[in-house]
Amino acid sequence: MANAFVAAFEILSFGAIIVLIVLGLGIIASMMGIFNFAQGEFVLLGAYITYLAYAKGMPIWAGMVAAPFVVGALGFALEALIIRRFYAAPIVAMLGTYALGLIIRESVRGLIGGFYLTVPEPIGGSIDIGAMHISAWRFTIIVITLLVMAGCYLLLSRTSFGLRMRATLENPSLARASGISTPLMYGATFAFGSALAGLAGALIVPVFSLYADLGLRFLIQGFVAVMVGGVGSFIGPVAGAGVIGTLSAALPWIMAPVVADVLVFVLAIVFIKFRPQGLIAGKGV
Amino acid sequence: MLRPMSVVREAIATDMGDEAGGAMAEGAAAGQARDRVRAGRKILPIVEAVVLVAALLAPLVLQDYLTVFATRVIILALFALSFDLVWGYAGIMSFGQALFFGSAGYGVALLARDLNVTNIFLVLPAGTLIGLAFALLLGGFLLLGRHPSSVIFVSLGTLTGSYAADRLARGWYYLGGQNGIPSIAPMSLGSYDFTEGPAFYYLVLGILVAVYLLCRFLVRSQFGLALAGLRENEQRIAFFGYKVQHLKAIIFTIGGAVAGLAGSLYAFHEGFVWPNMVGVVVSTQVVLYVLFGGSGTLIGAVIGAVIVEGVSFWLSDNYRDIWPIILGLLLLLVILFRPLGLISFLLGERERVGNFGARPKENVKETRDAP
Repeated sequence: MANAFVAAFEILSFGAIIVLIVLGLGIIASMMGIFNFAQGEFVLLGAYITYLAYAKGMPIWAGMVAAPFVVGALGFALEALIIRRFYAAPIVAMLGTYALGLIIRESVRGLIGGFYLTVPEPIGGSIDIGAMHISAWRFTIIVITLLVMAGCYLLLSRTSFGLRMRATLENPSLARASGISTPLMYGATFAFGSALAGLAGALIVPVFSLYADLGLRFLIQGFVAVMVGGVGSFIGPVAGAGVIGTLSAALPWIMAPVVADVLVFVLAIVFIKFRPQGLIAGKGV
Repeated sequence: MLRPMSVVREAIATDMGDEAGGAMAEGAAAGQARDRVRAGRKILPIVEAVVLVAALLAPLVLQDYLTVFATRVIILALFALSFDLVWGYAGIMSFGQALFFGSAGYGVALLARDLNVTNIFLVLPAGTLIGLAFALLLGGFLLLGRHPSSVIFVSLGTLTGSYAADRLARGWYYLGGQNGIPSIAPMSLGSYDFTEGPAFYYLVLGILVAVYLLCRFLVRSQFGLALAGLRENEQRIAFFGYKVQHLKAIIFTIGGAVAGLAGSLYAFHEGFVWPNMVGVVVSTQVVLYVLFGGSGTLIGAVIGAVIVEGVSFWLSDNYRDIWPIILGLLLLLVILFRPLGLISFLLGERERVGNFGARPKENVKETRDAP
């Protein structure tokens, strides 16, 4: 009983991490129609900034708070300088953002070498419920993920910024005619998606350590999650990430990890083949 | 299923005709005027001849260890050719091309290890067939069926396939796990063993030239023209009665076969296979070759492989760490400013099969705001 509970918690926390990473990817894919191959590297940058703050003797929290802002600003700049030119063709966008990701990843590799750098958990220890111990930091990640999800949902559905964003997504020319600066909205959307990736990186670095291929590890998983969930809505990618994250954490408990890993991807691709619109079809939030 | 060539030409030409004609009448853009001048001259055959002569002479001037390196580059060029067929001609982003390359490599490595089969007339066809079979399975699944697949789905599907194969190869003890399969016996012809050196080089070069000529014939046939047509405007080609998904599946399978041939040669040349060979790393490497060199020209793929591998070999002593960063920057510049690759410095867009020049500016603007 206790073991099953701990297992369920582990699975849930891994699902939460994937949701956190995919959130930004899904928003960019849904709102802008491009699959950002550099998203994993934004996660890496968030992790790196947190590590830097820790290594310079600052409190880890400071790095974690700074990460989304720095990465978001970088995302805004990159959108204005480069990404903007890719909107005409989704495949070119894939390749272009892949090149960007390559540059960021290899730069970070140059800075940290091939090492696994560790950052301690800001909230250490474990939460004891009777005889069961669950990691306090993983629990915090679940809580923060829920808060961020709620925040995103409110931002997109209740604020005027969200309204403009959705208007731009639904009908760019009409939005422009109504006085919305669509280029600015694309920039803001991309910056927002990047900031979420930066935050994800900052929060997961105590769990996974910092290494150059950190972002790459989650990239394909993230894309598959977005496709499974369905592009074009806020809730779709989140649902997809929940399903993929939970499955890939749950299956290794009942079969060989390698088989489980491959099985998740095969199932996902077969699912997308027969339901291209994903779990939750739709445009808009 | 195939229509007469003239109809296809017309189908593509009507798409581009007004635009190209309009642009030419105005003669406004300097680039288009340059293309028009070049349309008369054929640069492509000259480039092909120069590359062939250089390749034939290479082992005479190169030191031994460089000949070994050049052999590897030629095998990778053959692999690049397979990707150019599917991406450059049919516009299918096969982001997991290494799956066919690597699975053929593993296949022939197992033949040599477990069955002692190294005869060149057995292993090369076997490798080609393995690549073909995998491509037929994956391509059939991704491309055919009731729902037409989106470009993004196909690219992610192939990428995922390659990633899954990588994971499987790493975790499967029979395939050697992380270490792969080392010390594969050399490929043999009767009692002669192909070991690294000029003989292997000329064997590989001969195969490359033969496959190149076959591909060249294929893409200039009406089948290839129909492919180029669907690359430029898929709906129009479908409207003319082609089963575009079938055309795509066929070229995808052919590409897989060529990749399989390259993979089996690579396995015997290097003498070992390892999980990266089926994975994302090698898959993206081949995309780099073709984008650098120039997609949709065949020779561009070969030149791209030679340049990327050559420069990275040259830089690997002193600048090993920053080379990937430079590679990324160059790739970004090529995508931004030279979407048709380095070869577009030499030849006009019209020499790319099925390409009738640049799209007019206003079209791009229109789609840019509506992603």
